[in-house]
Order: sequence, then structure tokens, then C-alpha cells
Amino acid sequence: MITMNERIRNILKKNIMELILVGMVIILGFTAPHFFTLTNLLNILRNSSIQGVIAFGMTMVIISGEIDLSVSSTVALAGVLTAFFTGLLAEAGIMPMESAVIVGMLVAFIASAAAGIFNGLMRVSFGIPTFIVTLAMMKALYGIAGLITKSFPITTLPLWFNKLGAGYVWGVVPIPALILIAIFLIVLVIMNTTSFGRSIYAVGGNEESARLCGINVRRVKILVMMIVQITAALGGILVSSQVMSGSHTFGKGYELNVIAAVIIGGASLGGGRGKAWGTLVGLIFMGIILNAMTLLNMNEYMKNLVTGALILLAVLLNSIKYGRD
Amino acid sequence: MNVLEAVDITKEYPGTTALKNVSVSFESGKIHALIGKNGSGKSTLVKIFSGAIRPTSGTILSNGEELAFSNPSEAFAQGIATVYQELSLIPYTTVAENIFMGRLPRKGLFVDWENTFSKADRLLADMNVDISSKDLIAELPVWKCQIVEILKAMSFNPRVLLLDEPTSSLAVNEVKTLFEIVHKIVENDVIVIFISHRLEELWELAHTCTVLRDGELIGKMDMSDATHNKILDMMFGDVKVQQRSRELSTSEEVVLEVRNLTREPKFRDVSFSLKKGEILGIAGMLGAGRTELLRALFGSDHFDSGEIYFEGQRISSPSPVKMKKIGMALAPEDRKRQGLNPFMTVKENLTLAALDRITKRSFILRKREIEFAEKQVNDLDIKVTDIDLPVDSLSGGNQQKVVVGNWLNSAPSVMFFDEPSRGIDVNAKQQIFQIIWEQSRRNISSIIVSSELEELLEVCHRILLMRNGRIIGERMSDELSRDELYLLCMGASGQ
Repeated sequence: MITMNERIRNILKKNIMELILVGMVIILGFTAPHFFTLTNLLNILRNSSIQGVIAFGMTMVIISGEIDLSVSSTVALAGVLTAFFTGLLAEAGIMPMESAVIVGMLVAFIASAAAGIFNGLMRVSFGIPTFIVTLAMMKALYGIAGLITKSFPITTLPLWFNKLGAGYVWGVVPIPALILIAIFLIVLVIMNTTSFGRSIYAVGGNEESARLCGINVRRVKILVMMIVQITAALGGILVSSQVMSGSHTFGKGYELNVIAAVIIGGASLGGGRGKAWGTLVGLIFMGIILNAMTLLNMNEYMKNLVTGALILLAVLLNSIKYGRD
Repeated sequence: MNVLEAVDITKEYPGTTALKNVSVSFESGKIHALIGKNGSGKSTLVKIFSGAIRPTSGTILSNGEELAFSNPSEAFAQGIATVYQELSLIPYTTVAENIFMGRLPRKGLFVDWENTFSKADRLLADMNVDISSKDLIAELPVWKCQIVEILKAMSFNPRVLLLDEPTSSLAVNEVKTLFEIVHKIVENDVIVIFISHRLEELWELAHTCTVLRDGELIGKMDMSDATHNKILDMMFGDVKVQQRSRELSTSEEVVLEVRNLTREPKFRDVSFSLKKGEILGIAGMLGAGRTELLRALFGSDHFDSGEIYFEGQRISSPSPVKMKKIGMALAPEDRKRQGLNPFMTVKENLTLAALDRITKRSFILRKREIEFAEKQVNDLDIKVTDIDLPVDSLSGGNQQKVVVGNWLNSAPSVMFFDEPSRGIDVNAKQQIFQIIWEQSRRNISSIIVSSELEELLEVCHRILLMRNGRIIGERMSDELSRDELYLLCMGASGQ
């Protein structure tokens, strides 16, 4: 029989990241000035939102046993395409900037979806690891973004577009935070309640058994590679909305932060394991650490050092958790 | 002369005894075959000699002196080398590197390549084999890898060489070359013991043959005294073959027809038809091409030529997705690699193949999912306290049942079973057979591949005989005795 002690230990083990998070919040509440204000907490969400939406797409990719490094370049390209097409259509007098930006966003989504499908096809048709394909894709997309901007930020964007990334509803809730929550809920529902979500787990956990079970492994992989690119495009649109321009320099280094959040959330790079909820915890974890270090007035180098140490610690805890199972 | 001796060896596992008071000795200068059906204890005995497992009681003597070792490297140090079925060579390195792996000759800090290759070449020349020390392992056929593996073991000058089914994946002429080498080795006062599944090769390859059955030593004899029937009697004793109930009949309607299916070099020209409700066995030894045939039929492996008809319709370019859709199912052989998802729960593993049957507009219906999982847990008597436990927490036999249950949930009209009873106990086996019969009553057909030929006699209506990639005949199981079946499959020409 399972004793009470064991049961408590199991719960502790299972929810270790959540517990650490709660502990952190309590300590920070007492030590960091202004941490426990509503504005600050919403701020944390807002600051996590751009990389956050991508992290949920990445969660699906990592659970399926793949990776996408090119999301950072998609952030840049999506912003650039949106701004570029807005300017193009408005200057040609086809439509006003206010509606042209919608076309621009649409182009950004379609282009990034195409890039994702390409990544997926290279993986399933030629067996090239997604690490390599998306590394190449990252270089190429940054190149395209630079060619379009001719190395100057494009700023032809309508005022309302700024609302997307920097606006608030009811005066306090940041719109990007709402988008983040929406994406989280969508991914949560997909992963937990649909056959597509179940197939992603199946493919990542044991590709051969999934294939023999009549699951369309090719389709699953291409779809997740496409979805992560769409979330990256969304992230890119949010960035360009916040700074009201599209630039080929956006997104640098995002891919690793995003992957870090997913891994802190308990996903395994080997595939088959991970949760949307876990990624949310990972995101908030990272967000809070960054926020607290700012509140505590730490310098940039110290921040990097602490972040690095904490990522390692979180992953270590996860591997102990699974290793002992 | 050297002698390796097992004295009163017993090996107990929780719930079963793998070896019971086995005493047997093997002398040098001879090749000794070790045979017995699955679960007879032959692998356990070899593993005890090689130090991979320790006996519960009993001793190993070498020339009268007790040998004690607790792991393979200690056994190795005492002159006992083992070549396992799974090759341990590294694909993209040379033959010479593999032979001297971990002890490459050096010149100061660096590897002395000249010396490495010339030493390896000498070894290869001694054995008169057509392999260059500079060949890449990845480019060698399996039987040559097997030879490299043996040479690697021999380069340590062992007193005892243990070979675990060295011939199971080799063609006849390859086996011959391999054993020419083994004969050379034996001349140097080495004791060679090998496990075999192929009856016909024993007379050519071995000097003596030792038979185990259910963990007991039945006897050891010189091959010159052995006959096929004698060996079969020793292997099986007087076990009665159970019969499936007589009322099980098949309809005349053909559900699956296969014409001239070929996949070189695994199988060729395979043709047969399967009737509704029929249980068809494919009998053959390991490496006969049975598994490959099933996989090709299910679309998980390609084939070169031939046709598959399902209910009269030709199936072009089959894939598991397509085959599942038309109502086929395959419970694969290797549950770890092909059958289960280790990170998923019992419930999830039981509903993976039937995913589209538990979903509505692509949303999983929780209640139906649980229903489906629990139905199989009950029907197959899967021992699990909670279907939400990880599948990893189950015993091997129960995991096997999960693989079968997963596919039963997909409600197939034709189901393939590849070694359905591997590693499960008699009770579990009977439960799976009951399910197969029950399916037959409901007009669902099955094709079963099994190395335990007597169980095919028990379960199937009809048996196809497969040898070296060809169907060499077909028999109704009522008209066939166990010994006949073994003789046909092992390829002994009717003695």
C-alpha cells in the first residue's frame, strides 16, 4: 500500500516546479519592492507574452520530438512583412494603412506557415534533423528580412496597430497578456483533449509504434512545424506593434529563451513528454526571475549569470524527477 | 584438453525456475550445440557461463577448478568469451579498429595505425576470410560482421567461446563459411558452445548436442548417435498438443489474397489467401522472413513486387494508415520498440490504434476512452490497479496484452499477430488464444506468426510453412503432428 508519506512525496515530486514558483513569489513579495502590485504582476505576463505565444507552439514541436530554431527569424520576418506590405499597399493607393496592415499580417502568417511546412517536409521526406533544417531556415529568413528592409526599420504602420502589442483592456489588462492566455488555452485543449494532441504525444514517445498504430506521422510532424511558425509570426507581429516598426534585427536569441521555458516546464527534448501547463509555469518562472532582478536593481551580467544557473537547476530537478520514476 | 563444467546449476527467478540442477561438461576440441525450445533455459545457461547472470546455486568448473565471477568482464578475464546475437560493432569504423577496440596499439600518445592494420590482417589471414582490415563495418553483410565479432573475441585467446544463435540471421552458404572458421578455432584446443534453432545444421556443424527442456538437462550426445526424431523427442517430451474446439469453422469467403509478394532478400513469391474467420499460422524458424512478410502486408515495410487484395479490391501502395482504415491490425513482435509508448499510461496505450473510434469531431470522448481501455483490461485480464498508471509499471506479459488489446480496440476484420505469446506465461497465452477463437466466431480472421510451432497447431486452422523467404507448403493443422511441423520448418529432409 502507498503510505501517506509516500503520497505526499509523490505530490511534491510531481509539482516541484509549481512549488518552487510559489516559494519564489512569497519570498519576492517580502523582499522586492512593488513586486506584489497588480500592475507589476500583469507586467510580468505582458513581458512574457511575445516569447510565450511561441513557447506554446514550441511545446507541441518538442513533444513531437522535433525542434525549431528558426522561430527567432520568423519574428523578424513577420514584423518586416507586415510593415512592408502595409506601406506598399498604402503608398500605391490601393487601400488605407488602417486596413492594409491586416493584409500585411495575413501575408506574414502565410509566409511563416509556408516556412514551417517546408521545415516539416525536409524532416519527413529527407530525414534531415529539424535542428539542422531550422538552423539553415533561421539564417535564410533573417537574410530575406534584411533584403526587404534594406537594413532600415520599416515604420509604415497605422496607429491602431500599436494597440495589439501595447494596448490595455479595462485600463489595466495588457492585450498581449490576453493573447498569451488565449494561445495557452488553445494549446492546452489541443494537447489534452484532441486526437491530434494525442497523436503528437504518440509520435514523440515512440515514432515507430505510432506509425504502426496507423497514425499519420508525416502529417503530425508537418503540422506541428507549421503551427510553431504561426505562433512565431504572431510573436513577430506583437513585437513590431510594440515598437511600431518592422526590423530584420527583431527576435535575436528568442529561440533559446523559448526552448528554455518549455524545458523548464518539464518537456523532454527527446520527445513524448511535456505539458502546456508546464510551459506556462516555465514562462512565469522565467518572467518572474527577470522581473525580480530588475526590481532588485541587478545589472545585466548578474541577470545572465542567475538566469543560466536557474535554467540548469530547473532542468536538473526535472531529470531527477523522471530519472527516479 | 580443457574442460568446462557446470555442476548442479540452479537458477531461480521470482515465480519460475529457469534451470534445475543442471550438470553438464564440455571438452575442448569440439563444437557443442545447445538446443531446446523457447524458455528451455539454454540462454540462461550460456549467460551463467558468460558471467552475465549468477546462478542461484551450483558451480562452474574449469579443468576441475572452481570459477567465480560476478560480471562478464571477470568471466572474460578468465578466458570465457561470448558473442551475442546483437552485434556490438561500431558501424562507421574499420574492421581493425573494432577488433582492437579499447586496446589499439600505440606509438607514444598516438595510435600506431600501421601496426593495428597489420595485426588485424594477420588475424584475418590466419582464418582465411575474405575481409580487409580496412573495411567499414557498415558496409559488411551481417555474416561477415558475425565473423569480425568472433575474431574480436578470439583475439583475446579465450579458452571458451560462447556463440548465442550465430546462424539465425544467416543464409546456408554463409553459415558454412562461418563454421569453417569455427572449426579452425576449435583445433586450437578451444571449447566452443553455440545455441542453435536450426536442426538441420547440427550434423554439419556440431560434434555434440546438449538438449534442455523446461530448465532441465535432458541429455548430451554425440551427433553421430543423434537422429532427428531422437532430438525432437528430447526437446518436447510427451507434452500433449491441445486442440482448438472443433466447432470453429471458417467461411468460404476470401477476405485477403496475396499474390507473388516479393521483397528481396527477405521473402519472395509469397501467395496465399485468407478466408473470413480463418486462423492462419505462418510457421518457420527465426529469419525465415515471417515478420518481414507481416510488416509488408500491413504496409509498414515496402515490397518489391506482388499484389494484395482485400475483399476483392486491390490495395495499391499500402501504408499502416490505409491498412488500418480498411480494417487490418498488426500486433507487433517487439513491444518495447514497436508496440508501446513508454511515456503514456495504460489507458492511452490501449486506445492509440483506436483513436478515431474514441473521438468525435477529433475530440477525445473521455467516457468512451475509459470504456475501451477497461474492456480490454477485463477481457485480457490485464493486471493493473489503475489504468492511469504508466504502461512501464506493468510486467512484460501484461505489456504484451496491452499491445494486443490496443489493436483489438480498433475492431479489425483481419488481425496479424507477430509472436503474440512472446515472454508471457501459460495462462496469459491461453487468454490470448481464447480471444483469437472468439474473434474467429465473429468472422474475424487472424494470421499468427510464432516460433513456438506447437502453439500454432493448437490455435490455427491452417498453417503455411515458410523457409528462407519462401512458402514451401501448407497443411491443415489437424493433419499435422508437432514433430512433422518442426521437421518441415527446420528443413530436415524427412528422416
